[in-house]
Amino acid sequence: MNKIILLTITFFYSILLTSDDNFSKKTWFGDPNLQGTWTNQSLTSLERPDEIENLIISDKDAARYAYYYQQFLEQADGEFEVGEQIQASNDPGGYNVEWMDPGTKLLRINNEYRSSVITYPEDGQLPRKLFRWALEIPPTVYKMFVKADHPEERSLGERCIVGFGSSGGPPMLNVLYNNNYQIIQSPGYVVILVEMNHDARVIRIDREHNPDSMKPWLGDSVGYWEGDTLVVKTRNIHPQQQFRAGIRHQILISEQALIEERFTRTSKEEILYKFKVDDTKFYNEHWEGEISLRETEGKIYEYACHEGNYAMENILAGARAEEKN
Amino acid sequence: MKKTLIKFLLITGLFSVSGNIYSHHAFTAEFDAKAPVNLTGKIVKVEWINPHAWVHVEVIEGLKKTIWMVEGGTPNTLVRNGLTKQTLVPGTVIVVRGYQSKGKLCTPRCRANGRDVTFPDGSKVFMGSSGTGAPRDGADPREPKR
Repeated sequence: MNKIILLTITFFYSILLTSDDNFSKKTWFGDPNLQGTWTNQSLTSLERPDEIENLIISDKDAARYAYYYQQFLEQADGEFEVGEQIQASNDPGGYNVEWMDPGTKLLRINNEYRSSVITYPEDGQLPRKLFRWALEIPPTVYKMFVKADHPEERSLGERCIVGFGSSGGPPMLNVLYNNNYQIIQSPGYVVILVEMNHDARVIRIDREHNPDSMKPWLGDSVGYWEGDTLVVKTRNIHPQQQFRAGIRHQILISEQALIEERFTRTSKEEILYKFKVDDTKFYNEHWEGEISLRETEGKIYEYACHEGNYAMENILAGARAEEKN
Repeated sequence: MKKTLIKFLLITGLFSVSGNIYSHHAFTAEFDAKAPVNLTGKIVKVEWINPHAWVHVEVIEGLKKTIWMVEGGTPNTLVRNGLTKQTLVPGTVIVVRGYQSKGKLCTPRCRANGRDVTFPDGSKVFMGSSGTGAPRDGADPREPKR
């Protein structure tokens, strides 16, 4: 009889261990548990392509997108024959696909594939104030590509301060590589370690914002729990973080912006990440988005960016060499 | 449908591998598109550092030995794809097709980007998001565990 009871307990315990819910839903101090290593990589970009009307894409079309992406990668990888020499070019591309790691599938939320991260406005487009963008972006881009008199003129990514494309957020957006995050909690704090560039967002729970005179990198974030959802409110973004550019998206976030983020653990393998950007300087109305943060294996690889940053040296040396020509 | 899909990928930037615009650094700011390099040599050292790995290669031309530093992708991605310090060891011969840095003083080392890095038989050194090196992105629970 005892053996039967023991076997029964073992059976149900093994089911428990293999079920999706096998994780501690609360931390030792009682807060909902968001801890772990997560990735937001996906083939879906911030804005919706013009050709696609709806947010939701069928499984069939999503599979086709992934298939054509793979085909494209194979073509790009197979550009050169064995023994073939690379030639001078005006636009050589520069990098093959090993540099890129955007994932292999479109963003999937609630078992449905998405055509954009943006969920509002409903057309999936940023509600840009075009005249403001026309004023702000050209001088910034000119500086990024032309000016190299000293390191402070270069972009924040090149300077190893924050990652490009708003990977560190807020809002935290997927870019072409290093789309990994580690969340660590302690009483009164939630810390989001962003792989690129070793950024750590420290979110103070149930606390007030710092004075407006303080404008830290990644902004000033405070949070509170609404049931099992962590709500984070951020303001006083650093003025140099205004233009956030990745290859797939470019956004502007002003010092006056208010950003709300919501983190809800929907299963052991997923956190649903929602955000809302309210920035009347650069947008006609607020905009919202959703991303699935999926559990990923292993730890975050150290981002010792300054130690390995030969790029800055090469860029400045390159500019000096061009001056001599 | 195929045209629409490819246009979708073009628009979303997925068909752009140039990385010229806004990645960690701009290719055009650092490297010279008019200075292609085709190097074959032994690896003497690999720097597994972010934001990009650097492979040091000894290239012999006649009696002259030159050490080239070749920029690769982010080590995070390489490690997650299974490429480790045990895979890329000193002494291994590789073929690099890339472009030299704009600064050409070669002090202390000549530098180039690794547009395309292979073993002499043409097989890939850096496995990207294609072929057998496809990364696990966690989206598909059926993906095999490494």
